[in-house]
Amino acid sequence: MASTSEIKKGVVIKDSAGLWLVVEFQHINPGKGAAFVRTRIKNLQTGKTLETTYKTSETIELVEVEHRHMQYLYHDPSGYTFMDQVSFDQVTMQDDEVGDQGKYLRDGMEVNVTTHEGRPLSVELPRKMVFKVTESMDATGGNTVSGGNMTKEVTVTGGIKVHVPLFIKQGEDIIVNTENGEYVERAKKD
Amino acid sequence: MNSDFIRARSQVVKLVRRYFDEQGFLELHTPRLVGLPGQEPYLEPLWTSVSEQRAENKEHRAALITSPEYAMKRMLGAGFDKIYDLGPCFRNGEPWDGTHDPEFLMLEWYEKNIGLPELMDRTEAMVEFVGARFIAPVPAGVFVPSDISVPSDIFVPSDISVPSDVSVPADAPGAREQGVINHAPTPSKPFRRLTVRDAMKQYADVDLDLLLGDREAMADACRAHHQTVGENDTWDDLFFKIFLSEVEPHLGEVPTFLYNYPASMAALARKDPTDPRYALRTELYIGALELANGFAELSDAVEQRARFEEEQALRKTLGKEVWPIDERFMAALPSMGNAAGIAFGVDRLAMLLTGTDSISALMPIPVGERF
Repeated sequence: MASTSEIKKGVVIKDSAGLWLVVEFQHINPGKGAAFVRTRIKNLQTGKTLETTYKTSETIELVEVEHRHMQYLYHDPSGYTFMDQVSFDQVTMQDDEVGDQGKYLRDGMEVNVTTHEGRPLSVELPRKMVFKVTESMDATGGNTVSGGNMTKEVTVTGGIKVHVPLFIKQGEDIIVNTENGEYVERAKKD
Repeated sequence: MNSDFIRARSQVVKLVRRYFDEQGFLELHTPRLVGLPGQEPYLEPLWTSVSEQRAENKEHRAALITSPEYAMKRMLGAGFDKIYDLGPCFRNGEPWDGTHDPEFLMLEWYEKNIGLPELMDRTEAMVEFVGARFIAPVPAGVFVPSDISVPSDIFVPSDISVPSDVSVPADAPGAREQGVINHAPTPSKPFRRLTVRDAMKQYADVDLDLLLGDREAMADACRAHHQTVGENDTWDDLFFKIFLSEVEPHLGEVPTFLYNYPASMAALARKDPTDPRYALRTELYIGALELANGFAELSDAVEQRARFEEEQALRKTLGKEVWPIDERFMAALPSMGNAAGIAFGVDRLAMLLTGTDSISALMPIPVGERF
């Protein structure tokens, strides 16, 4: 068993509902109550994310995981296959294990794969990725207002839909946040 | 060190004092060093000792206050009716994580013959007064004409300069004082007022009425919300697990007074006479910060003694030191009358107005450079 002081980003907590990767954490001292650690955790089997708060005095079970640098090779009916950059071992993750992140994977891309006893548990993508806008309608149809800004939906490399500001045109490169699928900014030209 | 932030904190302190002075409050400088500090189970005072030169071996144990609350209430009992205190308070053993410092500026004010709604009105008015007058610095040499205003909900960090093409000569009509523009993010008004019960319903889909005082029911709710349940967890601990996970992160999305806490968290607040399962306590949340904690003050000495004894018992269970109840405070309670008061984090207001997420950025010597 481990102390809650060992909670940090990237550790994996085991409980009766499975293995959970800590995505975010924060120590909280409400003053009027005990001290707590608030976490955002992601289930490594289902991909479901939720918030769980531990009293700092609690004990938790952590599992040993490895964060391995791997290259994404290809997708086929058995799933997504990655290769360890050092040992050249290959591992395959099923579609439902990779989940929604799969759409961002591109052949040859380097990612971090979290493994437990050799078994891949999760893929960590670069937080920001550049995509080319492949399809954009410049008409006003489909425009929506989000957070006070006018946006439109465009299609980028890989068929992914992204909401972008109206000034973005077809053929431009844009940066997308892979955690929430949101537009970040125009990619700068060298 | 960011001198702009340090100036900003100074300015906030002056504006807070100006508000209360204009509203007819008396500023009291109550003692920082006392014999019997607050005994809230989860706050730790800093202890020292004090002695008089001539006294033979007479050394008094003393602590730095965690809040001026006891002294302020004694002053209410002595006949003062609109009072405030703005000065450092000290808390040991808190995380030095950007929102806490062991020595921080606390504002407390008390007013007789008002209730929780009027206390919230006053708090909101004070924050608006300060926000509207706060002048955030921009780099020297930048001129901002008076007809160009930066939207009030946009924070412009001091290292981003206003584009030079909006500059006008200092002597041009309408040019404002060099180097200043008011772009403080004055919170939108009115502030939302949300009961703890409604907040738990809205954000966590939990019906608090069914769980009050029932530890097993609260434990079941925790399990259903993927929270751990420990043998030693009290009802309050279990409440906090759901509250901190699912409710608290949303509260400051708009400035919000959360009020009417479960009676077990009443602290020094009166119970709601219309529903004594809840207590007349409020906290203010803006953005990611909790800024204030206020009560319609309990003046019933019998009930207050019972609560203090419960707190002492809890401190003992937690393996913490217990010290005697402050009998001078107890004696003053009945003459305090019907009052409401609030403790307000001045540094956190300065964080909000400057847009910094670190209390250390506001401190002339941050905690990391002091010990």
